[in-house]
Amino acid sequence: MHKTYSNKGVIATLVLPGILTFIFAILAPICLSVYYGFTDYSGLGAYQFVGIDNYRELFKDQGFWLSVRNSLFLAIGFICIQHPLAIVTAVILDRLAGKAEGFFRCVYFLPNVISVAVIAYLWKFIYDPNFGLLNNIIKKFGGEGTTNWLGTGTAIWSVLIVLVWHGFGWGMLIYYTGIKNIDPVLYEAAAIDGADNKQTFLRITLPLMKPVIQINVTLAIISALKQMETVYLLTNGGPGNETQFLANFLYKQAFQSFRYGYGNAISVIFVLICICATGLLNMIFRKEKEA
Amino acid sequence: MKKKILSLLLAAAMVASLTACGGSADNANSDQTANVPAQEESAPTNSDAAGEPVTLKVFSNLPDRTSGQGLVEQTLFDAYMDENPNVTIEVEALDDEAYKTKFKAYASGSQMPDLVNVWGQPGFLDEVMEAGLLAELNPDDYADYNFLPGSLDGFSKDGRLYGLSRNTDVMCFYYNQKIFEDNGWEVPQTYEELLDLGEKVRAAGLQPVSMFGGDKWSLYIYIHDIEEQLDGSGIMAKTSNAIKNHDFSDPTFKQATELFVEAVDRGLFQNGFESNDGGTAKNLFTNGQAAMYYTGSWEMSMVTDQDIPDEIRENIRVFLMPVPEGGKGDATTITAWHGGGYAVTESAANKEEAIKLLNYMFRPEGWTKIAWENGVCMSAQNFGDFATGSETEVQKQLMQLVADATDLSGTPLGDLGSSEFKTICEDKSQELAAGKISADDYLRALEAVGQ
Repeated sequence: MHKTYSNKGVIATLVLPGILTFIFAILAPICLSVYYGFTDYSGLGAYQFVGIDNYRELFKDQGFWLSVRNSLFLAIGFICIQHPLAIVTAVILDRLAGKAEGFFRCVYFLPNVISVAVIAYLWKFIYDPNFGLLNNIIKKFGGEGTTNWLGTGTAIWSVLIVLVWHGFGWGMLIYYTGIKNIDPVLYEAAAIDGADNKQTFLRITLPLMKPVIQINVTLAIISALKQMETVYLLTNGGPGNETQFLANFLYKQAFQSFRYGYGNAISVIFVLICICATGLLNMIFRKEKEA
Repeated sequence: MKKKILSLLLAAAMVASLTACGGSADNANSDQTANVPAQEESAPTNSDAAGEPVTLKVFSNLPDRTSGQGLVEQTLFDAYMDENPNVTIEVEALDDEAYKTKFKAYASGSQMPDLVNVWGQPGFLDEVMEAGLLAELNPDDYADYNFLPGSLDGFSKDGRLYGLSRNTDVMCFYYNQKIFEDNGWEVPQTYEELLDLGEKVRAAGLQPVSMFGGDKWSLYIYIHDIEEQLDGSGIMAKTSNAIKNHDFSDPTFKQATELFVEAVDRGLFQNGFESNDGGTAKNLFTNGQAAMYYTGSWEMSMVTDQDIPDEIRENIRVFLMPVPEGGKGDATTITAWHGGGYAVTESAANKEEAIKLLNYMFRPEGWTKIAWENGVCMSAQNFGDFATGSETEVQKQLMQLVADATDLSGTPLGDLGSSEFKTICEDKSQELAAGKISADDYLRALEAVGQ
């Protein structure tokens, strides 16, 4: 067996499918994107090389910067709102035990199994200024209830709430699994030492959850940068570009404006931002680990 | 005890998180359902019934196959399959906006279905025709098809025909006559009267005009409609030149844009109109929550839609954009164009069969007759040939408006430029509607496209 695995031919055969998939499904499209990013290709017909014109235009494009700002805003929203709530809910679920634990775990995960299209339309009706649920509730409590939740000034917050709500279940489930993997002996020892709930959470649960938090935060940031479907269906980036996100902006330029070359330039910057964000997070977590 | 408290807390949180599910049912947007089934006359086709099995792939922008134009289209497809048992027609249908996006994705990949819906407007079709993605049609085939003059212009390039126009689209205000009469409101004769009427309607607790600004294109069409009434003629050529020369300094553009902003400021449209989609806007009107609905003649089938309460659909009437003060337009200058249509793709696996299907659909007793007899829309062919006198009031009104027209505006503002121009025009129109930019900013943004 050992000899078989030492055979370079066998190793190459086993590794080849993975390498080929990586080359054709990831590397080649990225290289093509870089190539087309230097052209004025419309997606149809002939094209010309335009050097770095697309990138020059991109850095002056207000829509692009709004998309970057909104993606960062969403990432911060995930980290500061969604994840603290998910951790606390996971801890409470863990304490519940029994049937209630299973029931609430399913309920909180429910939004994740509903199609994005359904979620978007559901919230469109909730947010509708004329007959929406939210404004009707406000009216019941004596408010005016005429706010256009998907209008200027409020749209970005409304989108954030939907995305936090929709992704909450995933985050919670990963934290919940992380907590379940903590050795119960540690909690028993803490209880014997007289530690209260707060101390147990801060001194045992949180420190031991660090690797899970690292993975979850990284996934949240990448998910914020990749955000597309919900925004497309809920506001399509509007009003104007107020709720525009990077992936949707890219899609709009490439497939609505027929600016395939420009869209590819955006995708190159998009990949760079994702790599930088991941690198930065790894650096932060590595430093924390060393400290 | 602790567990009970935790359970209660989680239950409360669950209620909050699931409010969404519970609350939406009452407000659900009901889709249109079956209309009066269309009557189809059989007509011979050239297909060999015993021939090789053929599957035609059709990409349609009419997802509702049980009423309106979708039903007419499906009726024609079914009839064609009945007469040509070897032909199977597979339909992929999406709403307008999703359709346009996927169409471009198809076009970029050069893997297109056999028969597609297209809009005969430069913003949509020019790049596709230039890229050679559409099959050339023989104009002689349509000599007896009674297409209205100019209706195939948008589907032609360099004297070659690439598609057939489906409709004559007229922009108008649908209104509820009963609500108007009950409140003593008159159909506005001037733009100022329209804005005054809007304030009266709002004061009566109704939304004045329902508009689907979330789909964006209706916003620039409204501006284009005002431009048509201001100039009275030649607005399409003027707009085309403005786009080409990056110069929107003509006073008509600024005045029309400012009149639109004034309408927004004076509350002519429903709350949140800039983010409402077509379905929501239509529902507001058909549920009696809005007194008027600004859209096109393609919605004339509301009158025969059994899902709409009788007291509303029987009282639907139309009027055109009123002329603003100093405008050169009148009741005979209308914002109308021949927009949607069909084309066969050059790379179609069954190009000949797809052209046969297209020709079958557009023989005069095909689309035109069925659509008119069912009160669905006005075709781009001589639909007046099929007038019987038993049409709905809305049909009669629209037919009269087209018959009396001395000027048709032609393709609207956003569809006269490139795809990039259209996208920016849509975004900026929405920003204008939301009060994020001024009329001047709007026109400067249009001038800047492609510079």
